[in-house]
Amino acid sequence: MSGIGTHPQTCSGDQLQVSSREWREAEARAGVRLLANGQGHCVLSIPDLRCGGCVAKIERTLNARADVVTARVNLTLKQAVVTFADADTDPTCVISALALLGYPAIPADVAQQDEDDTDDVGRGLLRAIAVAGFGAMNIMLLSVAVWSGAAGETRDTFHLISALIAIPVVAYAGQPFFRSAFQALRMGRLNMDVPIAVAVVLALALSLVETMRGGEQAFFDAAVTLLFFLLSGRYLDHLMRERARSAVSGLARLSPRGAMLRQPDGTLTYMPLSSITPGAIITIGLDERVPVDVRIISGSTDLDRSLVTGEAMPVPAGFGDTLEAGTLNLTGVVEAEVLRSADGSFLAQMMRMQSEAETGRGTYVRIADRAAQLYAPVVHLLSLATFVGWFLATGEWHTAIFIAISVLIITCPCALGLAVPVAHVVASGRLMRMGILMKDGSALERLAEIDRVVFDKTGTLTMGTAAIGCGPGDPALRTAAKALALKTVHPAARAIAMSIAEQPCQLDDAIEVPGFGIAGCVGGRAVRLGRADWVADICLQAKGKASPVCAFADGPAMSFDLIETLRPGAVDAISSFAEAGIPVAMLSGDIAARANSIANQLDIADVRSDETPADKIAALNVLRDAGHRALMVGDGLNDAAALAAAHVSMAPSSASDAGRTAADFIFLRDGLDAVTAAWHMARATARIVRQNFALAITYNCIAIPLAMAGLVTPLIAALAMSGSSLLVIGNALRLNRAAKPRPMPMPRAGGMEVPA
Amino acid sequence: MMSNLTSTERARAMLITVAGVLIGLTMAAVGRNDPMGAHGWIVLLFCGVLFFLVAQTLYDAEPVEDRSTSYYDDPTKVGILLALFWAVVAMGMGVWVASQLAWPDLRFDAAWSSFGRIRPVHTSGVIFGFGGNALIATSYHIMQRTSRARMPDQVSPWFVLLGFNLFCVVAASGYLMGITQSKEYAEPEWYADLWLVIVWVVYFILYIRTLARRNEPHIYVANWYYLSFILVVAILHIVNNLAVPASFSGAKSYSAFAGVQDAMVQWWYGHNAVAFFLTTGFLGMLYYFLPKRAGRPIYSYRLSILSFWGIVFFYIWVGSHHLHYTALPQWVQTLGVTFSVMLLVPSWASAGNALMTLNGAWHKVRDDATLRFMMVAAVFYGLSTFEGSFMAIRPVNALSHYTDWTVGHVHSGAMGWVAMITFGSIYALTPMLWRRETMYSWKAVEWHFWLALSGTVIYIFAMWNSGITQGLMWRTYTESGTLRFSFVDTLIAMHPYYIARAFGGLLFFAGACICFWNVVMTIRRVPNHAPEADYPTIPEAMEPAVPAAE
Amino acid sequence: MTILAFLIPVTLSMGAIGLGVFFWSLRSNQYDDLSGDAERILFDDDHPLLAASARLSNTTKETAP
Repeated sequence: MSGIGTHPQTCSGDQLQVSSREWREAEARAGVRLLANGQGHCVLSIPDLRCGGCVAKIERTLNARADVVTARVNLTLKQAVVTFADADTDPTCVISALALLGYPAIPADVAQQDEDDTDDVGRGLLRAIAVAGFGAMNIMLLSVAVWSGAAGETRDTFHLISALIAIPVVAYAGQPFFRSAFQALRMGRLNMDVPIAVAVVLALALSLVETMRGGEQAFFDAAVTLLFFLLSGRYLDHLMRERARSAVSGLARLSPRGAMLRQPDGTLTYMPLSSITPGAIITIGLDERVPVDVRIISGSTDLDRSLVTGEAMPVPAGFGDTLEAGTLNLTGVVEAEVLRSADGSFLAQMMRMQSEAETGRGTYVRIADRAAQLYAPVVHLLSLATFVGWFLATGEWHTAIFIAISVLIITCPCALGLAVPVAHVVASGRLMRMGILMKDGSALERLAEIDRVVFDKTGTLTMGTAAIGCGPGDPALRTAAKALALKTVHPAARAIAMSIAEQPCQLDDAIEVPGFGIAGCVGGRAVRLGRADWVADICLQAKGKASPVCAFADGPAMSFDLIETLRPGAVDAISSFAEAGIPVAMLSGDIAARANSIANQLDIADVRSDETPADKIAALNVLRDAGHRALMVGDGLNDAAALAAAHVSMAPSSASDAGRTAADFIFLRDGLDAVTAAWHMARATARIVRQNFALAITYNCIAIPLAMAGLVTPLIAALAMSGSSLLVIGNALRLNRAAKPRPMPMPRAGGMEVPA
Repeated sequence: MMSNLTSTERARAMLITVAGVLIGLTMAAVGRNDPMGAHGWIVLLFCGVLFFLVAQTLYDAEPVEDRSTSYYDDPTKVGILLALFWAVVAMGMGVWVASQLAWPDLRFDAAWSSFGRIRPVHTSGVIFGFGGNALIATSYHIMQRTSRARMPDQVSPWFVLLGFNLFCVVAASGYLMGITQSKEYAEPEWYADLWLVIVWVVYFILYIRTLARRNEPHIYVANWYYLSFILVVAILHIVNNLAVPASFSGAKSYSAFAGVQDAMVQWWYGHNAVAFFLTTGFLGMLYYFLPKRAGRPIYSYRLSILSFWGIVFFYIWVGSHHLHYTALPQWVQTLGVTFSVMLLVPSWASAGNALMTLNGAWHKVRDDATLRFMMVAAVFYGLSTFEGSFMAIRPVNALSHYTDWTVGHVHSGAMGWVAMITFGSIYALTPMLWRRETMYSWKAVEWHFWLALSGTVIYIFAMWNSGITQGLMWRTYTESGTLRFSFVDTLIAMHPYYIARAFGGLLFFAGACICFWNVVMTIRRVPNHAPEADYPTIPEAMEPAVPAAE
Repeated sequence: MTILAFLIPVTLSMGAIGLGVFFWSLRSNQYDDLSGDAERILFDDDHPLLAASARLSNTTKETAP
């Protein structure tokens, strides 16, 4: 208790409070990018943006401000792009103006935003689609003319015009396929793009030769239409990933960009993380995340380590304690010495473990490529066999080559190329409407395969906030506790204040002692709420009770019962996995008592507590080595590596930055039913993809014999290709109706909570 | 209105009208032995009147209006009134033409009033006079609103609007005098065509200049539709009207193409005119006024852009289906059929998009006749595009072509789609433009709606019956292999349908008259009201002013 | 059908213009926020927006005294 009297922040508190505000402003200002003309450019993420009315309201308000040059709101991305007249403008004013309008905003990540501004890949694909579409339309026009009877010179002319259109179109729009096929071949692999590229090039070459010879049949339209369909599939695939990526970048950034550094002359300056070296002294204000690993040299506080270690309850910290990067400072301002630079910090260490863990997953081959590995050799061999057969039968080079190539064209995996992306795009759209973001299509494939589920506890199965199980009965104590609790932002105190319905009593001389609790006077009588050993200073009864305790001086001491809140839908999610015969396990970094009580509540038999990040990875590796495919659901920094190591992973949107980066899926809503919803969607999608493959194979079984018999004309090729593609697309659209989400179960009051 | 022009602008306007007067004088002098001379006098009169209108105000005070804070709506207002004027004139002509078919005596034995002369007055009057003016006026409104910018100057909008009306007047008066190129929807002779090219180029430049000044970075999809309308119509007009005047002192000219080639060019033009004059421009109207009036964004904006490109690409080669069973090569006909059928996809995408937009606002459709006009327009758009694709198929065409079915099809498009969406837009626009609280009479709007709908339905049903009867009678053979019915037999069979058609047309015409009256009364009688924003609703339906967010 | 020798180039060039316009629209970010752009027309004021430069000079005028 000797520490209480020597709290340094009670004397320099005001100055440090100011520094905390400065840090906040500087942090916001760091989100403003300097433009070439000296103006500032800032992207704000506004999650509550819903309709055009909001857009108009925000734009009107912001554009009316003197410091704003232009403000443009993007409803799709839920972002506002603000240009300031002066790059040094503090965007917090704009943010508070938005908050007044009822739209809380956060600065979006600038580093990610830089890429966002130009989605070059997407634009390139769109351009290729436009070129292919232009070519396909005009060549189709000429081809329809030929098919409906244009003969002689007219036909030759039309073939020539088609050739003149097709050559540049294929050269431009085919690039994504040629490049990918070339890369795959160079690495000695086969992917879907190899048969596509081969078919397109051969179709074009064959048609050119036919055009020169004045032949009757040319496949220009097949080559270009094929590109158009496949590019559409590829663009949809890209769009899906882009959408998820921008949605993720709109989530609040949890790790700070810089810190307030104590200069040799005693002043405080904001410095970016990169220029903070070990040995430097920084201050960490209220509600700030610790930027790098530090040791406290003065002050004391309470820390929320839930994202770092998985500990559910705030822990006190004081002089000499080490804080990991990512910890949230709750109650007191502290000064601390930097132990390691940013890239040596706990956070960076976690990132390294994560990227190491990710390599284990690199062996996953997507279903389309698996199909291609089987499909391409079969088709190419069949084509070769056709050539040999026809050459032996007729002795004509020309006929044999023509028919062999027509086999390649008709089997070109147009439907196969669309089978997977279209289904995935539809599924990702559905998931997004359910509030689940999906990083890419392969995640959906992997999620459909799981046979184990592993949950983190804190922040995943439970909500990050505490609640009160039962409190003291004495009315005087209750009103005093409420009055004390209202004086701080400490989560336990908030929970206490929430649990007491009565009006708080009159409280004088309230003072918060970070790391210990709040003290005050009620009617001249001293009262304290906080750690038991600290409250015991004024009331012996408090000694040995469970924290937090509230007591009047020498009066009765009453202990509050802090509990964790389960995420809504947790029980249903666990039980539906159990019903499906998928074992569920829990890996927690928290102490055994808390982990076990949650596990009991949820009927999870396989519980491991006090797990370090390495333990978690090891546990997942054991599962993998045993041939299991595990879904990991977690949120913390300590889970990031495990998320990457798992076969597939999910994280709530409240997760740490690292966790969100590592996870394949992110769910934006509170309920854990998102996990089962995504799983059901993944299984429905896998079923549709299988059906699509079956359709494509059936189509080939019909088409290949016809082609080998030399019965395929360009008209049949065009009809078969469009027909099979439309069939596959139509089938994928059925996903819009499959797996309707069940209405979200309402969180049950009371019964969902378990003691900590 | 002139008081809103600066003195420089007034001077510029006077110079243009003087040039017009001189051109008119030259035409009158050179063509004194030809109907072209009469056209010279018409041009002279038209420009002379305008000259005096401007000259009267030449020395008036400079305008005080702050141009940076308001849109330039004067030409839009005049355009709306002109459109309604033409609607009444041309639909009246239509009723007369239809009646002549039922009661031939109504020709009154004059040359100018023969069917062949007043029918083009009806078609051109409706398409160009009513449709064209409505398109120009709404495009002025939409391009400024969606760009959030005022038009770049105040002379060229007037030049385009009045120049276009001069073209319409010359065209209509020429028909009555017997001046025609005999190309459907492109009847006016070479000098009128040349004049239209000038007007159209200025229109295009005006549009581009306005877009270039825009303060809203995004170009709303309606503008794409309007721009394609302006650009493609320009190209079509130029290509189809390539002709050599027999002499520069007379109206007569000869087409640059001959025989079936000319027919191909004519229908390449003709059907693309349907596409880009009667479809894309009005789709632009639909995509702006329907969401505005319903207070809901378009159901799928992405789809509206996709169907734009679809329509632009698919329409181009559809025209040859007008020439089934002619000297046109079979494969060109088949080409037309193929694309006609494929065109159904983007057309229905647009119609479906419009109807899905209303899904969830059906109570507004029920209560608000203006919105109902737009809803019915979308339905008729879907129906008539389906009918069009169907009729383009060669075996169907064998029955339908040259019969009244074609006429019915055109009118289901023109009355059901084009006129309905235009009337809906006019009712939405009028209170906004003149800053009135509501239309003068919401009951009159209801009357107009039901008259227009029943008129259209009576008209098309009459024509379907008539057309199919006619087609079947023409192809009925006796056992000996001769034709079973004479031409007069078919006329007798069609007589009741022709009466029904004239009656349906009369109902529609009455609706248009009510609309004109209602708009004029709105301008004259309804009290002023300054809206804070261009929120469309309130008027008839007594809805909340701000549409509920849905 | 010699006329096609005329009509096909005309049509192709119209298509090419369309393609060029589409490229332009892509480059000028016309498709970045389709859901927002569909709604914008519902909420416009009844007067043109001032250009950003004009607005800035206005505000400096206002703040000057």
